[in-house]
Amino acid sequence: MPNIDRREFLKLVGAGGVSVGAGFMLREANKDPREYLIPHVLAPEDSSSGLSTWYNSVCSMCPAGCGISVRTYEGRAKKIEGNPSHPVSQGRLCSLGQAGLQALYNPDRLTAPMRRTGAGDSASFEEITWEQGLKQVGDRLDLLRAARRGNRVAFLTEGVRGHLAQLFESFMRQLGSPRLLHYDFDHPHTLYAANQQFFGENHLPYYDLQNTRLLLSFGADYLNNWISPVHHSLGFGESRHGRPDIRGRFVQIEPRMSMSGAAADEWIAAKPGTEGILALGLAHHIVAEGNYSGADRGAWVTALADYTPAAVAEQTGVPPTTITRLADSFVDTAPSLAIGGGAAGNHSNGVDTLVAVNVLNYLVGNIGQEGGLVFNPAPAGPALQQHRATYSTMLELAEAARQGEIDVLIINGTNPVFTLPPTAEFAQALAQIPLVVSLSSFLDETAALADVILPSHTYLESWGDDFPEPGVGFSVGAVSQPVVSPLYNTRGTGDIILDLARRMGSAEVMPWNSMEEFLKYGWRRIYQRGDPETLAQGFDAFWTSVLKAGAWGETSSGNTAFTLNPDVIAGIGVAPPEFSGSEEDYPFILHPYLSPNLHDGRGANLPWMQELPDPMTSVVYGSWVEINPETAEQMGLTEGDLVDIQSPHGQLQVPVYIYPAIMPNVVAMPIGQGHREYGRYAKDRGVNPIEILSPQIEPITGNLATSATRVSVTATGKRVKLVKTGGTSRDLGRDIVQTTGGLGVEVTSAADNSIPITEVTT
Amino acid sequence: MNISIVPALKVLRPAAMLVIVVLVGLVLGYWANATFVPGYSPEQPIAFSHKIHAGDNEIPCLYCHTQARRSPSAGVPAVSKCVGCHLEVATEKPQIRLLMSYWENREPIPWIKVHDLPDFVHFTHKRHVLANIECQTCHGPVETMDRITVSSRAVNGSAQVGKPWKMGLCLNCHRENEVVNGTDCWTCHK
Repeated sequence: MPNIDRREFLKLVGAGGVSVGAGFMLREANKDPREYLIPHVLAPEDSSSGLSTWYNSVCSMCPAGCGISVRTYEGRAKKIEGNPSHPVSQGRLCSLGQAGLQALYNPDRLTAPMRRTGAGDSASFEEITWEQGLKQVGDRLDLLRAARRGNRVAFLTEGVRGHLAQLFESFMRQLGSPRLLHYDFDHPHTLYAANQQFFGENHLPYYDLQNTRLLLSFGADYLNNWISPVHHSLGFGESRHGRPDIRGRFVQIEPRMSMSGAAADEWIAAKPGTEGILALGLAHHIVAEGNYSGADRGAWVTALADYTPAAVAEQTGVPPTTITRLADSFVDTAPSLAIGGGAAGNHSNGVDTLVAVNVLNYLVGNIGQEGGLVFNPAPAGPALQQHRATYSTMLELAEAARQGEIDVLIINGTNPVFTLPPTAEFAQALAQIPLVVSLSSFLDETAALADVILPSHTYLESWGDDFPEPGVGFSVGAVSQPVVSPLYNTRGTGDIILDLARRMGSAEVMPWNSMEEFLKYGWRRIYQRGDPETLAQGFDAFWTSVLKAGAWGETSSGNTAFTLNPDVIAGIGVAPPEFSGSEEDYPFILHPYLSPNLHDGRGANLPWMQELPDPMTSVVYGSWVEINPETAEQMGLTEGDLVDIQSPHGQLQVPVYIYPAIMPNVVAMPIGQGHREYGRYAKDRGVNPIEILSPQIEPITGNLATSATRVSVTATGKRVKLVKTGGTSRDLGRDIVQTTGGLGVEVTSAADNSIPITEVTT
Repeated sequence: MNISIVPALKVLRPAAMLVIVVLVGLVLGYWANATFVPGYSPEQPIAFSHKIHAGDNEIPCLYCHTQARRSPSAGVPAVSKCVGCHLEVATEKPQIRLLMSYWENREPIPWIKVHDLPDFVHFTHKRHVLANIECQTCHGPVETMDRITVSSRAVNGSAQVGKPWKMGLCLNCHRENEVVNGTDCWTCHK
């Protein structure tokens, strides 16, 4: 390079030097970032790095009481599965149960005790200490108790079982107050009442879906949310595929096809509220054909005389041939089982309807039979059914509050401001109570009206136990143990109650320092029922084994011999359903159903449940109203059209979803959305159909007849786009929906297999 | 007509020279870092010596790293484990005093991670320990190190201290030992 001058040379050397440095730094910068290995200070016994630890516990996301196994990793809950050794869930779990993690880690959880400041619109909550909160409540309780005015305290809780229920009972007994109310929107009051009336038992029998060959379900969406959906799903699967050469047959009778209806072999739409009449029509045919030969046959002939196929067809809209065919196959296919619930039990004739379903089981001898209906032994733990509050009980509570008879109301878990229709004026009643204490983990509609919030742990952080109702034919119990340490400054519900009991001077009667201690005390009695081998090991070994297994069971069985009280027969009969609102002004019957994902609204704050498509419509994050295609065509409605749903008691605006599997004069809406509080995921999303329900009650139980409201549908001219994951629900000649006859299916004529929606006269 | 690129080169020569010099410089700098900068050997919060523990006193690796035989991760002992011995042993040394100050404050010791695999590699200590692979095979002669230095698998008996792990090391070993599915992608990259 002869012609490089000095300048050029220096430039090159400079550039070379800088680039060597840059290359050096380039590699340096590409090295991995520094990571740390943070050890424990004290090694926990049951956690090791790199390995998961599983704890068995009990799910509390719905009242079914499934056993769960929770995988924890380095002290954090990571995944919830069903506990394989728990007889209810048998290793399975529903989506709501899986989403329990999002209750634990929910960003909208209440993290510390709070007190309301200000009034009216300017009201807000300020954080207080536990001592402040407990003292404020405890002092008031102590004063009332000392003045023998403890009966001015009311305790409103979600349905709880086991020792927590017993703790609440002792607490209220100390106060001398009878106002202990277990309130759940979806509690099947009518089913309990029907069983009480027919079987003389105030707890539920075990419905043995697994071993049945023919299931007639009158409105019970047993795969989604009827009583114990995980267990029923297991039974459904076993019945269909679990037995060589036998394939269970499922018939679903309901005005709007639920997921159980979609999974059934046959879906029959009877007019809403006439399910019980249809059941008695079947019963009439069974007796008339001589397929029942019991000693009381004469009484049955008389009782069922009016329910001839022709008369029943007239009332229900189901053709007489279908009635006789169903009745005959119910007799011929043993074991068979009839169940009822859901919307069928929520009419003005709910109890009679469900009694009629029991009649079917009685006439063909399904009671106490494998594959039929098996009685459960009395629960091993505390059973306190008498505190179950119906809609009417809640109205009485609200009235008492308005009359100034209540000084303190403690609310645990339940959210009546959301699940009671506005006609109950519950929120206004709460305002009349001087001290409303909420033990909720979230700021739901009810907690938002409380004066003091003492936030509870979620179920994954607290001690408890459960004796599932219904059981599985033998005694089952399980202890719910904390799987992680508490995330926030919250306390267990039981611990809060025990603390308040101490503060009001009941420490002598309720001497336990913690819920865990009380549980152990209670389970000592269950331990003493054990065989000599268990007793020889001592209580601690028994306790450890129950916690480890996540389930305790006993091979006892319920009452097997059943004799019907002859007086019951004469009382059999189902009156036509009563609806609120005239047919001219309100031409449609509103069919509100529990959302499979959000249940009664409690799942709405879990983003997983919000984004999980509804199994029938595939809609996510919102509300909709289902309308039959023919009706929609007549009204000129298409999917996404916003309509006003007007009942005699309110109005909602909601988009249309065209749903072929609903009767033309019925519109259906899912319950669960429409929250005004309850965190960022639930708030201001969709509408709540409970708001427009008429206060029509089922007279025997006093519960709200949620399916007895008439509505009108008016187009608003506005449109929205329904957010859903599915495309068209029609095959459109693509041959993608193929049907096949399974093994052992009885082959019937095409007419018999068709879904009889076209036969329905409305 | 004659077309030549020579005049063009003449004009561009100073620029071309610059580019070449910069590129050579970059490569040289990168290479120098890779060759002469010693393996990753950070200063730890406590100057713990594996030489004293595992070398001079012959404490087995699994005494402290107990999880290695049953878990994907070998684990670092809890502070309580160190304290278990050092309540009695060498209590006057300054580093042990430092340890005790962590213990008395109930604070964990923030050890810096030396041997690291990318997150897309699924490695489990358990399988390797149960197959009687010596720890030194991958971690080098830890019992001779006062401060842990990254090292790779021993080749011909001599450990490659200062060289980080590469996928070839896993594969070579899996091939030599005829590991079932040992060279399958999914064995490590799940």
